[in-house]
Amino acid sequence: MTRKNKRPQPRNDVKIFLVIATALSALVAVGSWLAASSGSRREPAPGWLPTKVRTLGEFALTDEAGRTVTRAELNGKIVVVSFLFTSCSLTCPEVTKRMAQIQQLTATNPDVRLLSLTVDPRSDTPLVLARWGARFGADTNRWHFLTGAKPMLYGLIGTSFLAQDCGDPFNSMPGNFIGTERIAVVDSHGRTRQYFDGLRDETPAAVAAEIAQLRREP
Amino acid sequence: MKPVILLVAALAGLAGCKREASPKSVATATNQSYAARGVVQAVAPNLRTATIHHQAIPGYMMEMTMDFPLQNTNELSGILPGDEITFTLVVGENDDWIQNLHRVGRPAEPVSNRGSMLHAMIPELKPGDRLPDYELLGEDGKRMRFSDFHGRALVFTFFFTRCPLPDYCPRMNKNFAETQKLLAGKGGAPTNWQLLCISFDPEFDQPEMLRNYAGIYRGTHTDRWWFAAVATNILADMAPRLDLMIMHEGSTISHNLRTVVLDPDGIIFRQFDGNDWTPQQLADALAQAARKSTNP
Repeated sequence: MTRKNKRPQPRNDVKIFLVIATALSALVAVGSWLAASSGSRREPAPGWLPTKVRTLGEFALTDEAGRTVTRAELNGKIVVVSFLFTSCSLTCPEVTKRMAQIQQLTATNPDVRLLSLTVDPRSDTPLVLARWGARFGADTNRWHFLTGAKPMLYGLIGTSFLAQDCGDPFNSMPGNFIGTERIAVVDSHGRTRQYFDGLRDETPAAVAAEIAQLRREP
Repeated sequence: MKPVILLVAALAGLAGCKREASPKSVATATNQSYAARGVVQAVAPNLRTATIHHQAIPGYMMEMTMDFPLQNTNELSGILPGDEITFTLVVGENDDWIQNLHRVGRPAEPVSNRGSMLHAMIPELKPGDRLPDYELLGEDGKRMRFSDFHGRALVFTFFFTRCPLPDYCPRMNKNFAETQKLLAGKGGAPTNWQLLCISFDPEFDQPEMLRNYAGIYRGTHTDRWWFAAVATNILADMAPRLDLMIMHEGSTISHNLRTVVLDPDGIIFRQFDGNDWTPQQLADALAQAARKSTNP
């Protein structure tokens, strides 16, 4: 994000300058946030591309209300995807908080859905996921928290979104997936288009900008 | 058939793009060339097609991901998904292809295709399965095993003493304290039962730490409720079998809750997931498990 701070520098008092610069940076940050949320042009999103082609695979999973959600329900939708387990005390609340911001930024886009996939389905029952969603103000008409059989969940995550590695099993989210803190954006053709860092404050605005761009695609 | 489909898809994709080129480029018999840059998403096994997420090609098409055919398949040797390349898109009257591929970048993140291989994993145990006889380090500083408790119905759960979340470790230990009371105070109930709390933070939770922590919940009666720690290498085998999930996050440890009841033979009788269970349910399960006769 570029800071367009063009104010001339006061030469004599560095402290005053620092205070002003900090205040202006904050203003610019808020301004660019608002600009992004109102759909205007912004800097390119700080996302990155999948290293191989990934598409949203077929699945049938259960949402926080106990309802079956399938791939077909998402046909033609832009889908924002995150990963979690509700026992996770630092990373997952941060990522979910940003998903909630994305939910707000895309509130007027009926073609956008949010999915949060648990990697701990035995713990994360629909009831547990419903509580988690409520904690973050999830609009369950648009944001589904999905659980189900572990092979199906892990298969979907591994096929459509994240690679796995054989690293320290206790230093990453369960399932040994690389980058479970990411937020992925799937286009309306079911292609995983971009990843964003779910732990960065710029991400909600960047995801909203990416969605705006995807919606302009033919 | 697949290359044909890919080719058709590629051409269909081309037809669907916004062609900004002037009509005369279509009319002319000569091929048009466009310099382009993008990231390879996939390479067809026969090397005849590459899927490329390309940047906007000025005067021709906007940024998108497309399958591009190659005339010279040698051009793809050494190019992997994830590589950033420059290339020339040649558009003829009836067909198009890419050439002059040059790799200009490779992603820092390794492209992993080991994927599902890894999770040809350690299988989860279910009721009726025998828990392997893992070694633990007891609160008395001595090595011990699960089999030390054979003859008693055993319930164990996992925790770490630094756990800050009231709904997690402290709740487990309060539930265990309550379960102990229910079982001890019940006339006619089986007496062959045992509680065990296992720390997965062995470096911090040394025996003295475990004893001090245990005292908060258990008092000084150690005969029916024992604390221990498990070494990380043993945990690496045990955790997936019990669907126990542990993630070191900064200075804390995120973990799910798994509480397992073994019968007097060390066979899994019941598993409680999460914290939505009551001490009464656990006491009942322990009493039932304790009544199972041991095999001679």
